[in-house]
Amino acid sequence: MQQGGNVERRTILKAAGASLAVAGLGATATACGGGSGSGDGTVTIRYAWWGGEPRTIAIRKTIALFEKKFPKIKVKPEFTDYEAFWEKFQTQASGGNPPDVFQNAVGFLRKYDKRGVLLDLKTQADAGHLSLENFRNGVLANGQVDGKQIAVPVGANTMALVIDLNAFEKAGVDATFGWTWDEYFDALQTIQDKLKIAGDTGYFSIMYLYDLYLRQNGKAFFTDTDLGFTEDDLTEWWEDGFKRVKSGLVADPKKVEQVKPKSALSAGLAASEFTWDNFSIRYEGEGESDYGLAPIPTTDGKNTGQYLGSLMLSGFSGTKHPEEVAQFIDFMVHDPEVGEIMGYDRGLLATTEQYEAFEPTDPSNKGVAAYEEEVAAAGVLGKITPHPSGADVIEAAFLRIGGEVAQGRTRPADAAKALFSEAKAAFAG
Amino acid sequence: MTSATRPALPAASERRRSGSIAWHVGALAVLAVVLYPVIWVVGASFKPSKDIIAGLDLLPAEPVWENFSGLADGISGISISSFFWNSLVYAVLAVAGVVLSSSLTAYAFAKIRFAGRNLLFTLMIGTLLLPYHVLLIPQYVLFRNLELTDTLVPLVAGKFLATEAFFVFLMVQFMRGLPRELDEAARLDGCGHLRTYWSIVLPLSRPAIITSAIFTFINAWNDFMGPLIYLNTPEKYTVSLGLMMFRDQEGISDYGSMIAMSLVALVPVIAFFMAFQRYLIDGMATSGLKG
Repeated sequence: MQQGGNVERRTILKAAGASLAVAGLGATATACGGGSGSGDGTVTIRYAWWGGEPRTIAIRKTIALFEKKFPKIKVKPEFTDYEAFWEKFQTQASGGNPPDVFQNAVGFLRKYDKRGVLLDLKTQADAGHLSLENFRNGVLANGQVDGKQIAVPVGANTMALVIDLNAFEKAGVDATFGWTWDEYFDALQTIQDKLKIAGDTGYFSIMYLYDLYLRQNGKAFFTDTDLGFTEDDLTEWWEDGFKRVKSGLVADPKKVEQVKPKSALSAGLAASEFTWDNFSIRYEGEGESDYGLAPIPTTDGKNTGQYLGSLMLSGFSGTKHPEEVAQFIDFMVHDPEVGEIMGYDRGLLATTEQYEAFEPTDPSNKGVAAYEEEVAAAGVLGKITPHPSGADVIEAAFLRIGGEVAQGRTRPADAAKALFSEAKAAFAG
Repeated sequence: MTSATRPALPAASERRRSGSIAWHVGALAVLAVVLYPVIWVVGASFKPSKDIIAGLDLLPAEPVWENFSGLADGISGISISSFFWNSLVYAVLAVAGVVLSSSLTAYAFAKIRFAGRNLLFTLMIGTLLLPYHVLLIPQYVLFRNLELTDTLVPLVAGKFLATEAFFVFLMVQFMRGLPRELDEAARLDGCGHLRTYWSIVLPLSRPAIITSAIFTFINAWNDFMGPLIYLNTPEKYTVSLGLMMFRDQEGISDYGSMIAMSLVALVPVIAFFMAFQRYLIDGMATSGLKG
């Protein structure tokens, strides 16, 4: 069994080698992970965001700039797309390991504040690590919850109506500031009659648009802890919507589904679509026509119900380096050079220093800037209303259930009931 | 069939031939359905990015190379080859881990009588019923406390510890089918368990091992959730995460590069299968007692 002994030893050696390899990987991990301070006082913070390639390239430039000005702080970037970002973030937050600084949006603030994940930047500002001055049009309030500053806006955007300029011109209809819903739907009817295409791509499934409609009528989509409207309100909204699908005023939902991921507007199925103004560059890239921003229809001929929403930066409450996190956020929202690099990628720049540093040159960005200035000048910008914990889930449910209504699979009354019960679960979660 | 009999049975022959044609046409029709998505992906990878979501054509009117040549520039400052290298390292480690640990565990369950064997076997099968999502956060917390996030360890450690119950089960069933006489003979010749495992059972279990290896490779190569949760540094991302980077919900997604990269990502999986499938058939034919 001399030979046998050898083989056995070899087997054991191999097995040992394998486990050593695993242990070895672990050792490297401990060496470069952790991200805390090293001997010379340099600290590393993790910075995570979602977005496409242009945003990522711009942000990496701003990080390089930051590291040059703050040589003692290293920033480790982490990025992916929107859905993957939040899936990952949820696990990281539950596991106590979210990034030190991350991009955030209003729908997620209360959700993660409730779980104690978000750093209160007010105390950091009081300590002088971060300035909360010079924010335009009161957008700073977007990051405030219960007297705490749990996020700082990097940009501002608002809902808009994106229209197919050629279709509107051919049909001879005009979108004017302060037009009413009746005038809007009349215009769509003219487009449908003259051009044989639908007017809208499915307005009634968009939570943020319904929010504007409710705000025009003295309500809002959310209160601090609940929905701000009744089942009857929503039933009526969806009944009207479904009527307009049947009459062809709103594009056939089956066709809208078929052209995805392309938008039904850029596919030429309809002449208008409601969305956030900073998303509007996609239409020029996707479609053959020319696109522009038009005002939101109103109920009383004046009030659009609009407010400025924001992408923001938040810090992790458990970070080992709150001071550096605050300094980093301060740099990212106030430094003029950062503003020049980022442009309007995350909305119109939130602070005056950055807004003045960037001069848009392409028509899309110029259009967005002109649009927001027009809305601000009209004096219709209201304050953002609360987004309770669970708002992100409800937004998705609103889109899905609204889609079922459009396809005629759910009656509006049942759909409204379904949304209310899903909302109840989301608030409890 | 000889020429003498042919005129005698024209009807039967005719019927057989038409039956055969119908069978072939049917088989080709099914093949077309199965291959359609593959052909679509190949076609789309040669279309300009804009036409991919706009047109319904299967093949491009004018093939373009820009989707593939664009891959050379990388995405968001990361080279595409690093995604492939990371996936390859992950998949190879996963295969090594599953093959080593599962076969050893399976040997114990199949060939050794020990107290509590049936209970342990049942418990192991029971882990198959645990949904991934139940384990996700506890596992994450564990690896976080060990400071092992942002490494491959959380992804492959389990594979080296025989936690892939399905493959253990597969190998146990296969090893139980091996003739007992073989390991009894080895015992008589003086082999211990390790020697019996290494020289007798392992070579004979080749079909089960190859099957496990192929499935593990494909699973690891396609794994999205694991790398998404555990890997933070974009330079460490695998192919499945890299593909997501081409998406942009707020701007313009680069579908051309995404599809070109998906196509390239298929190559290692197909190559792995091609390389090992002959062993699979080989192994089937030679296992068991001969002569």
